[in-house]
Amino acid sequence: MGMNRYLYDGSADGLLSAIAWILAEESDPEQVALAARKDTLFEDGLFIGTDATLAESLFSRLRKQLPDVAHTLYFCMLAEKEGIETSLLHYIFLAFTHGDKINDYLTHAAVRDIVSISKKAARELHRMKGLLRFEKLRDGAYLAKMEPDHNIIHPLAYHFRTRLKAQHWFLYDVKRRTAARWSNGTLQFGTIEQFTTPALSDDEKQVQALWQTFFKTIAIPDRKNARLQKSNMPMKYWKYLTEKQGE
Amino acid sequence: MDTLAKLQILSGAARYDASCASSGSKREAPACGTGNTSQSGICHSWSDDGRCISLLKILLSNDCRYDCAYCVNRSSNAVERASFTAREVVDLTLDFYRRNYIEGLFLSSAVMQSPDVTMERMVRVVETLRLEEQFGGYIHLKIIPGCSSELVRKAGLYADRISVNIELPSQDSLRRLAPQKHKDSILEPMALIGREIHSSLVERKADRRAPRFAPAGQSTQMIIGASPETDFQILRLSQGLYKKMNLKRVYYSAYVPVIADNRLPVLAAPPLLREHRLYQADWLLRFYGFSAEEILSDDLPDLDETFDPKTAWALRHPEFFPVDINRADYPTLLRVPGIGVTSAKRIIAARRFSAITPEGMKKIGVVLKRAKYFIASAGRPFEKPDRTPALIRQQLLLGEGDGVAPPRQLLLSGLFA
Repeated sequence: MGMNRYLYDGSADGLLSAIAWILAEESDPEQVALAARKDTLFEDGLFIGTDATLAESLFSRLRKQLPDVAHTLYFCMLAEKEGIETSLLHYIFLAFTHGDKINDYLTHAAVRDIVSISKKAARELHRMKGLLRFEKLRDGAYLAKMEPDHNIIHPLAYHFRTRLKAQHWFLYDVKRRTAARWSNGTLQFGTIEQFTTPALSDDEKQVQALWQTFFKTIAIPDRKNARLQKSNMPMKYWKYLTEKQGE
Repeated sequence: MDTLAKLQILSGAARYDASCASSGSKREAPACGTGNTSQSGICHSWSDDGRCISLLKILLSNDCRYDCAYCVNRSSNAVERASFTAREVVDLTLDFYRRNYIEGLFLSSAVMQSPDVTMERMVRVVETLRLEEQFGGYIHLKIIPGCSSELVRKAGLYADRISVNIELPSQDSLRRLAPQKHKDSILEPMALIGREIHSSLVERKADRRAPRFAPAGQSTQMIIGASPETDFQILRLSQGLYKKMNLKRVYYSAYVPVIADNRLPVLAAPPLLREHRLYQADWLLRFYGFSAEEILSDDLPDLDETFDPKTAWALRHPEFFPVDINRADYPTLLRVPGIGVTSAKRIIAARRFSAITPEGMKKIGVVLKRAKYFIASAGRPFEKPDRTPALIRQQLLLGEGDGVAPPRQLLLSGLFA
């Protein structure tokens, strides 16, 4: 007997509600495969419709009973990675069987897949907390542009909400055209259709020059090590780094 | 002199301090101020030498009245001198922090008129940041040996971490190379800081609103290779500092020749590999349950350049191996070359679900390149059991087939400091 195969609409809610449905209806979810529906004519599998309530109830159940698993799932979704649905289904099934320590079960392929994807997203979030660069605009607000691999704008904005709460700022994910805005004690998220670069504050270039000077002089000349620098700070992040402009 | 010119001089003068940690403190953002700290620390950039930048690391002044032989700022050296005003440092810190360039400030200084005058000015900078500007970011403040204990206490109330540099690993070397610094003026503030940290922790247990004293603890730094001490002497000193003074971290800084002086050795290059081996041995002291006497001895006073200190220990102790990965406890697993804290924890966690096979080791992400010579599973060693330490030594060096990789200088970021 082959694996039972199911499809869902490709959305985050669709994925979670499909998983909830399979966990409730299938006797052996480890024998079930799940994938996003593509627009091809002949697709093998039974389509499960999206049910936002079901998705929400699964996630809140995980948050209450299995907080580490909910955390892993959250970061895994930020990865926006295709083809991980079956692993995710098996992972959540195992989590309900074995409990919140499931992330330790790294000899299991599905657990290993999910944990490593989730860790990568968490690592990039941590990295961006350091590598994000704000520029001061003419109206006194601050703007930071970025192109992260993972969709981390939400947790990143929450980090800066407490850290830089006394200033107005924007985060802008150039690749996804999404933005976060912190102003007068409220945080909002949205998309930006047309982005026009705003004018910088008059002293901005001066402050940037100070930072660039510091960046150059703080390195010990006898210890130059470009390879180590690149491995710690991959070049894909240099585009928006103030200290790497004009190098 | 404008701020940019000062910054160039005073960050260049501060770059030999190895500490960059911004971890170990959890400071909430003040109600209407700027900044907080992150328990695990955050690196903001990596400079051209590959070292992490998390703090604005500067001297308040490089105008020194001391004449320490190894120091670029020694009074007899003809370098350009500069001093920041308190306002300049405060503005730089805030301007950089608001743009997310940094996690906070690391302020040190040359000794101006006197230790007290210098320390007082440094304390005034952080006082302005904390009280006037409501700054909640990370502050690492250097203590100037010989300043009053009142100033040390004040420093600890504003800073997250404070440190007194031990500079050289023995009193003899200090007398010879830094004649104006005395062992007691370094150790006394260290002991005072240790006591204050301890009593603040006790008070905060009773009352959560009691003031914090240097919540990220104290650290120190010593220069390696400017004086004749052996690695064994150095490690024993560090061990004593961890045990008796409760230090969070001892930093080792390879001596970079900045000026010629006949009291100093002539080096072709800074002893980076030695610094790295000491760094590794230091981790064995802090996290792996080793003592300095296990790592080195009077007969073997210096660390092996070819092998990391744990591998060197393992090769001297064949009777300890192989270690059974499904039975060994955590301290035993930690003694296996190639198995670190993360791997040891993963092994213990994963074997609760099922016994771990050699294949399973790879799956949970344990690197077997070195470990395989020292472990067994289900009674069978991963590699043939008849290997002598000499053969293992050779295979570790040459690999199985690949050529010899030259030892490379590694510097780990301050993430886990």
